[in-house]
Amino acid sequence: MSLNPSPLSTSRTGGCTLTGALAVTTGIKDSVTIIHGPSGCAHHNFSLLHATILDNDCMVIPSVISSAMSEYDVIFGGEEALLKVINETAAGNPGIIFVLSTCITETIGDDVLAVTRNAGVPVCMVPTGGFLGGDFETGFSHALIAVSNLANPMVKPGEYSRTDSRTVNLVGEKNLEYEVKENFLEIKRLLSLLDLAINLRFAHDISRSEIDRLPFASMNILREPALTAVGNHLQAAFGTPFINSFPLGISGTLSFIINVALVAGSPPEKALEAEKKYQEEVFKEFSDLRGARVRLKIPSGIQENLLIEEIFHKAGFIESPDGVLLPVPYPFPVGTNGMKRMLHLWRRALICRAV
Amino acid sequence: MEEGTDLQGCLNPVWPCALTGAVTALSGFSGIAVVIHGSSGCYFYPATLLHNDLHSTFLVEQEVVFGSSERLSELVKELSPDYQKVAVVNSCVPSILGEDIRDILSEYTIIFIDTPGFTGDFESGYLGAVKGLPVTMGTGADGVNIEGINLIDPFARGNQREAERLLQLMGVPVGTIFCHDSYQSLNRAASFSITVNPDLHTGYGHEMGSLLGLSSIRKTVKTLADTFCNADTCGIENEVRVVEERITKAADKYLKRFDPPTVTIFSTCSYSGFAATTLKQYLDADILYCGSRNEPPRPSAKVIKVTSLATIQSAIREHSPDLVLGSTFERSVAGDAAFVALTPPVRGEFRLSSKPLAGTEGELSFMEDVLNACMDRQQRKSVK
Repeated sequence: MSLNPSPLSTSRTGGCTLTGALAVTTGIKDSVTIIHGPSGCAHHNFSLLHATILDNDCMVIPSVISSAMSEYDVIFGGEEALLKVINETAAGNPGIIFVLSTCITETIGDDVLAVTRNAGVPVCMVPTGGFLGGDFETGFSHALIAVSNLANPMVKPGEYSRTDSRTVNLVGEKNLEYEVKENFLEIKRLLSLLDLAINLRFAHDISRSEIDRLPFASMNILREPALTAVGNHLQAAFGTPFINSFPLGISGTLSFIINVALVAGSPPEKALEAEKKYQEEVFKEFSDLRGARVRLKIPSGIQENLLIEEIFHKAGFIESPDGVLLPVPYPFPVGTNGMKRMLHLWRRALICRAV
Repeated sequence: MEEGTDLQGCLNPVWPCALTGAVTALSGFSGIAVVIHGSSGCYFYPATLLHNDLHSTFLVEQEVVFGSSERLSELVKELSPDYQKVAVVNSCVPSILGEDIRDILSEYTIIFIDTPGFTGDFESGYLGAVKGLPVTMGTGADGVNIEGINLIDPFARGNQREAERLLQLMGVPVGTIFCHDSYQSLNRAASFSITVNPDLHTGYGHEMGSLLGLSSIRKTVKTLADTFCNADTCGIENEVRVVEERITKAADKYLKRFDPPTVTIFSTCSYSGFAATTLKQYLDADILYCGSRNEPPRPSAKVIKVTSLATIQSAIREHSPDLVLGSTFERSVAGDAAFVALTPPVRGEFRLSSKPLAGTEGELSFMEDVLNACMDRQQRKSVK
């Protein structure tokens, strides 16, 4: 058996755990995140977050602090530098302090957990460790789990009837994706068909105190199946059942309604009928695309081939090797309205080709 | 407000590390395969910033434990046939593992740059990488290298074109362009250099001056004329005069209606200095704060090193300027001040043309942006 990981191993190109964890911790608006490592690591990630903030027309700048490890700290250890930054950060009295480690601090053996435990102030350490901790998705999941452990409900979960709450949590929205708001609005629209409301966007633009509401929802809806470990953790901790993905595609959106209704104990028929009618209206709007000769450009991360095929046939396209190349957005569009935006993109591609 | 080693200096850092600088310099030369020896996290940031073909060993934990030599050799072997040279840039973790990269890759003639992120800032990495390039210098008045092209700079393309145009106007051949040229060009570096960004002086070629600002252009043209006896300086001298008159006329028009702007500037040291001098000269601007992303070459009370968005935000709040110059970071905390982009990154706006900052066109473009931004703000104020 070879221990050498394949050059094609997906973990190699899965990004940094820090970025994944920051996508969660910076979603807690009164938090401060300390990155224990060289300032370059904090800059790379802060720059990315800042760009996303601009794209999403949100001007609340998250607080990301670097322990600014120098060559000296790399040689003699960076624990002292970390403790100093934690204490100085605590003086500003933030809602919560998160500490993330980097690959360099993991390699030199800084005991970040011990520093955070002995800091004398409440600190939430998220196990990251740069690439030594896994990839973007690992960082994202670990951070969600670490943050969920902060939930300190005033009412004991056993005394609370979830099914009566008629609310759901959205867990693990991709805060760095361009259409995060549109996806949220789509879920909200679909839930409203079942008379369900949103209890908590975990963790998107919430405060530390709002985390305490996490246990009080009738179900958790995960952004994608990759977060199943988070769903399991929340189920074990608070007994909350979960749906493992936002709705994707035509039948996927309808199944989503059925599954949510089932967990919520609601009859799905009325909602299903309304959504089917809406989907028909959407495709009618794009009836001019019927018969267009096209081929699809599917990004490597997309695994929803059957869903794409379903949309493809419903829209009446004809697959042809010399057809117009239609891009499939990544991540795959959410719900019926996501499909509608994708059809607009495809129509534009067809018009451009015709011109 | 000076940025020290206190917490504020570490909050939301706005300037890239040495690794990014090194990769930026090397990726400017076609024919060089740039390999980031590190994880995908270290790869993605420069890759998204530069939009160039970059390569990486994409290290995972096993290689940190058992060594990365096999992985690195495998990648260099794969890339070598397709490129004239492979350059390996070390990141933080492999730099402390103690592996002898040159020895591991002894069967290849690679460029090895050891500038991990913790060793310094963007400029130190950029210059460290340039020093590691196999440059062969010419002899005599064979041409002039252009220095200071930095591909993350929003003015890189424009500055290069402007420098090439001005040298062509003088009839002086262009040597190697640091850092946006071919790998072969390193074999024919000229003995003289001019720069469009004095912060990035490479040390290759006798320094003949800068094209940043009209007074620098005048001096540089004179120096070039003293060296290149056939250089034609009339065209440029005339151009400089015309540009000066055009800007003065526009600035006078502005000053007839409005007070000189109060300004805070945040850029690299040379760009900040250029902006401050130009704004004082034409608009009698009051420079309230002049921040530099990199270490100023000489300690100065006028230019302060600042790399934290928290410090930048405090400085802008404290001074309440009419005009802020900087990057997207500064724009996000500029409030209702006028804003002009001077520093990377510049996001949230379309930049399709090749705007320069250096040369006569750079001076015109800069003042045009400043005057229009200030006018827009005055109009906004009057509507309120």
